[in-house]
Amino acid sequence: MHERLATAAMGTRFELVLEARDAAHARAAGEAALEEIERCDARWSVFRSDSLLSRVNREALAHDVALDSVTFELLEACLRFQQATQGAFDIAVGARMREFRSGALSPATERCGAFELDAARRSVRFTRAGTSLDLGAIAKGEALERAAEALRDAGVERALLHGGTSSVLALGAPSGASGWRVQLADFDADRAEVALCDRALSVSATHGRTLRVGERELGHVLDPHSGAALAPQARCAVLGPSARENEAWSTAALVLLARGLDPRELAPAHLEVRAMHAPTDPTRAHSAPTVPPRAHDALREPLCPTPR
Amino acid sequence: MSSSPDRRDFLVHTAGGLAASLFTPSLALARPTIRAGAPLKLGVVGVGRHGRAILGELATIPECAVTAVCDTDDSRLQSALRRAQGAKGFASIAELLDKAPDVEALVIATPTHQHREVALAALAAGKHLYLETPLAHTIEDLQALSEAARRSTRTVAAAFHGRANPVYSLARSFFRAGALRELATLRAQNHKKTSWRTAGSTPEREREANWQLDPAVSLGLIGELGAQQFDVFHWFLSKHPVSARARGDLRLHKDGREVPDTVACELTFEDGLVLDWSGTLANSYEGRFELFQGAMAAIKLAWTHGWMFKEGDAPTAGWEVYANRQQFHNDSGITLIADATKLAAQGKLQDGVGLPYTSLYYSLADFVKCATEKAAPACSLSDAARTSAVAILAHQALRTRSEVAIDPKLLEAL
Repeated sequence: MHERLATAAMGTRFELVLEARDAAHARAAGEAALEEIERCDARWSVFRSDSLLSRVNREALAHDVALDSVTFELLEACLRFQQATQGAFDIAVGARMREFRSGALSPATERCGAFELDAARRSVRFTRAGTSLDLGAIAKGEALERAAEALRDAGVERALLHGGTSSVLALGAPSGASGWRVQLADFDADRAEVALCDRALSVSATHGRTLRVGERELGHVLDPHSGAALAPQARCAVLGPSARENEAWSTAALVLLARGLDPRELAPAHLEVRAMHAPTDPTRAHSAPTVPPRAHDALREPLCPTPR
Repeated sequence: MSSSPDRRDFLVHTAGGLAASLFTPSLALARPTIRAGAPLKLGVVGVGRHGRAILGELATIPECAVTAVCDTDDSRLQSALRRAQGAKGFASIAELLDKAPDVEALVIATPTHQHREVALAALAAGKHLYLETPLAHTIEDLQALSEAARRSTRTVAAAFHGRANPVYSLARSFFRAGALRELATLRAQNHKKTSWRTAGSTPEREREANWQLDPAVSLGLIGELGAQQFDVFHWFLSKHPVSARARGDLRLHKDGREVPDTVACELTFEDGLVLDWSGTLANSYEGRFELFQGAMAAIKLAWTHGWMFKEGDAPTAGWEVYANRQQFHNDSGITLIADATKLAAQGKLQDGVGLPYTSLYYSLADFVKCATEKAAPACSLSDAARTSAVAILAHQALRTRSEVAIDPKLLEAL
């Protein structure tokens, strides 16, 4: 029995396709997974005044803010990723991201912000004025992992989940197949399709949302060291066991490329930085797929991720 | 306005009598201030979906620490223990009370029909108690709970969230000040497209987890969804309905269940005022809200936000000039913002600020504060028992397809 469910969260559409023992079980399991995604949205949205992350951004400069265990572990992971990527991934870019979204990006000057965690009190505190956290894509990856855990708890062993098609997670494989087929648009033909089984995929690109400043076209990914928005020239796909980790590395890879570094030299061995592509024709990057995510029949045709 | 203090002075000095009284109440937009000291040691009993949400909120309240978690289902228990680091797990309330005597307070989030057994054991052991709502599925259980709560010297609170919600407190102050004048209609709904089923790893676990779909013990949509909203009207009006009628049907989820997925309920008050409530699991349009409509204005509440819609002939207060407005098709609603005067002083009154914490958080934080400081909670067990009784009788009206009288003496005795 196959069931398909979807919900709107984190400014995009999350979808899942799953196999279960009967229709009622499939529906209930899928709803539990979607509820996890909605719960993540409620915790980490910077657009909701009552979210935990909004509370942190309002109060953490003045005093320690207590976190739930899920959020604390996520922020701990973010600090680890920040270190491993030499600061190319950093969630303390919230203030700059707000400027980007409002279309008024001020000149880049210095590192965006800083925070520290207190494991004993399970709390966060900002150590620099002006700090604001924006979990961005890593929240999508984490939400997919939470949703997959809800499916496993419900006895589901085969499912494909995606958030906005840029973050994809496969639980098992479809019956009779070796993996869930996923197509990578705009990558080299010999790397254009992957089959996912208990693996995740993240696709990032700087051109997903752009901002024009004078003659320059800027992508929505920022270099946390300088606060500068990257030119919309690069894309990359990361495959690995964790959707959360993939998201951190696919974002960081774009920043590292802009710094002239090869992200494959920094990425841990269990990650496959499967493809990177820097189109020479800038018009191609600008016209790259930005269409709203659409429903896919992942059982009949491959899912085609749209880079963020 | 050029400066914030001027605006504040304007609000304080030029608002009319009604508006002045509306902004005067001491409403805390921020979290409740809880006396410093050792964190209150809490246990959470029943850690299904809602119990886990409670654990998430409790983790962000530094004045308490979850030291014990209890559930009869081991997979749910293990999942909860991953969220409540450092807590001990127990398979029954008896084991928890025996082996974790230092737990000071218990939050009960078991299925409704199991509340009585667990809550009575907790109260007998001298614990502070926060009980999910509806409190029980029978009048007999409500009476037993009320009696035990009366005998207890501990804080006994119930989870009707509106009473601890600052937006609702602000709206109530408007309402009680007479801003709506003659009341005409009361309306509320809880609409969400969902199967209302819980998936289990095995068919046996799934049957046990889906008690809400078991007509032998479930109060259906009226009890599990509607009661939370009925209580808002009871609290605002300071009275309860005297009769209930209801009808229901299966419109979408024809999967063998008997509990209707779409319900309409009519609660009539002594003066003829009627509360119309509808619940459905088939469609999500407009979600959940409560609506009070009077001759001069309407108030719409939606948990994190509230609005007032004024009639054209309603008097205008000075503060309205600066109020944030939202357009709803043909109607313009003034956003009800707790701590409006403070926000006005900061020049933020027009920002459309919503609640900084969830409704569940305010309710739990109120309990932690009251248990710590030995104060009366926002929602007492007695208040909650009366609303739960109304829900039980309204559910009875649905099942019997007849009008059911609600005896005021029955409610008074709870």
